[in-house]
Amino acid sequence: MSLLAKYFPNAVTMKGDFLQATGETLYMTAITAIVAGIIGMAIGIGLIVTQPGGILENRVIYNILDKIVNLCRSIPFVILLAVIAPLTRIIVGTAIGTTAAIVPLVIGSAPFYARQIQNALAEVDRGVIEAAESVGSGPIAIIFRVYLKEGLADIIRSSVLTLISLIDLTAMAGAIGGGGLGNLAINVGYSRFETDVTVMAMLIILVIVFAIQLIGDLLARHVDHTA
Amino acid sequence: MTNEAIIQLKDIDVTFHNKGQTVEAVKKVSLTVNRGDIYGVVGYSGAGKSTLVRVINRLQRPTAGSVEVNGQNILNLSSRELRTARTKIGMIFQHFNLMASRTIADNVGYPLKGRLSHEDRKKKVAHLLDLVGLSEKATDYPAQLSGGQKQRVAIARALANDPEILISDEATSALDPKTTSSILALLKRLNKELGLTVVLITHEMEAVKEICNKVAVMEDGEIIERGDLVSIFSRPQKPLTQDFINTATQINQALEKIFRQAASLNLSESQQLVQLQYVGASTDAPLITELYKRYNVVSNILYGNVEILQDTPLGNLIVVMSGDPDKLVAAWQYCQDAGIQITHLNPNDSEVA
Repeated sequence: MSLLAKYFPNAVTMKGDFLQATGETLYMTAITAIVAGIIGMAIGIGLIVTQPGGILENRVIYNILDKIVNLCRSIPFVILLAVIAPLTRIIVGTAIGTTAAIVPLVIGSAPFYARQIQNALAEVDRGVIEAAESVGSGPIAIIFRVYLKEGLADIIRSSVLTLISLIDLTAMAGAIGGGGLGNLAINVGYSRFETDVTVMAMLIILVIVFAIQLIGDLLARHVDHTA
Repeated sequence: MTNEAIIQLKDIDVTFHNKGQTVEAVKKVSLTVNRGDIYGVVGYSGAGKSTLVRVINRLQRPTAGSVEVNGQNILNLSSRELRTARTKIGMIFQHFNLMASRTIADNVGYPLKGRLSHEDRKKKVAHLLDLVGLSEKATDYPAQLSGGQKQRVAIARALANDPEILISDEATSALDPKTTSSILALLKRLNKELGLTVVLITHEMEAVKEICNKVAVMEDGEIIERGDLVSIFSRPQKPLTQDFINTATQINQALEKIFRQAASLNLSESQQLVQLQYVGASTDAPLITELYKRYNVVSNILYGNVEILQDTPLGNLIVVMSGDPDKLVAAWQYCQDAGIQITHLNPNDSEVA
């Protein structure tokens, strides 16, 4: 404990702040992951089935989804935070705080996740889809029983990637008033020259990232039967 | 074998448009397959045979033409009706197309989900795995199986809905010869035991030779020759058909060797290199002995091959006949009268028949 006090003189006195900030980061990440996960998954599946040669080929819908994803992904997240502040105010009632941060986080990460899902599902062998069609499977069965089942290992790997980049975004959102470890690292650690607070915040984020990576890898390996 | 048509394709056209290029994959093809047939469709890759058979279950919609399967017009069906119709048309593929994330039992049971109760499904899957001889692999994953075993699983899956038709799209092309034979034998058995009608697409005449009763040869999107197996093998009309058959019976390789050797054989005036082809009963006659007894013609056999097609023997002999020139002519006449086809081969003509 004395070692901790020696190298993190300011951080040890802020145990409560760190607990709260970690909670806020996990809260933002979890809620965004659920909302953006559902939206991104839906768009990703939409892209795969409507793409040229897909099971519900539809040029118009594919192009609309494709353009939306590209557009949202082109806006730098820091600018997105500011640009959609009015929208956030309408949805949440305020543009400041942890819950308010979730709106730009969803808009920032859902298109990224959609692209990841699209890529993961594109790996599913076209021949397997055809085999399912040949035994009389319809689009719903093919989506849920072939695409999502066959692509599961890749979906898990993409989800891990998205989650980690999401934590990156929460830190950014935190820095401009969203709370969480990012807020602590910048507004306390960096602004007050309490470098140990910044380092501590970074270490906690690293632990969260490593944990997600580890669990994801284990899960992906568990469902992967390709080799 | 009845004469009731189960698949009727009429004037099928399939045209692909790709980046401004138009490819006519199938041109005005009509094909009738009767119930109980094992119908082979042979052709080199790109001939349009896969595209043609994918029209049968509408995995490929034809640009023009009509498709009737089991008396049902496949092209007019709604997507729901099409799905029901497809359950009666099983299909197996060159690359097996099994789901890597499911066990063997789950792969086979996949088509039955929602159609049978859990208990019935389990029973049916066990029965199907038994049928293809893979009962002990039920809990394995496809990655743990050999190519031949994977194709057996695919066959079991294709049979799950009790189809009346099985389409085999190059199903043995990725397998070694021994495994190919065992898969073909399985298809033949299913044809006999379940009355399954099989449409077999392949680029190997060997596969057709082993199990088909009818064959169509495709080239450039068209069927250039068709008929029952024995007549196609005994009297092919088109050079491509002849080519496929020669490859299957390995006569091409034999001729090549013989021709190379023939130069050193130094055939004299009284010697002639001929190919004798006979179908059915004439195989049994002691031809060579007869030729010697009647005409004093000596036949030196360089190559011999007998195929049994649909229980009909089909023989090929390449011999050097020696004797008086007029006796040779008489001997050839005798052969022809006995229903034996004679082709005179010229070793100096490098163009192999």
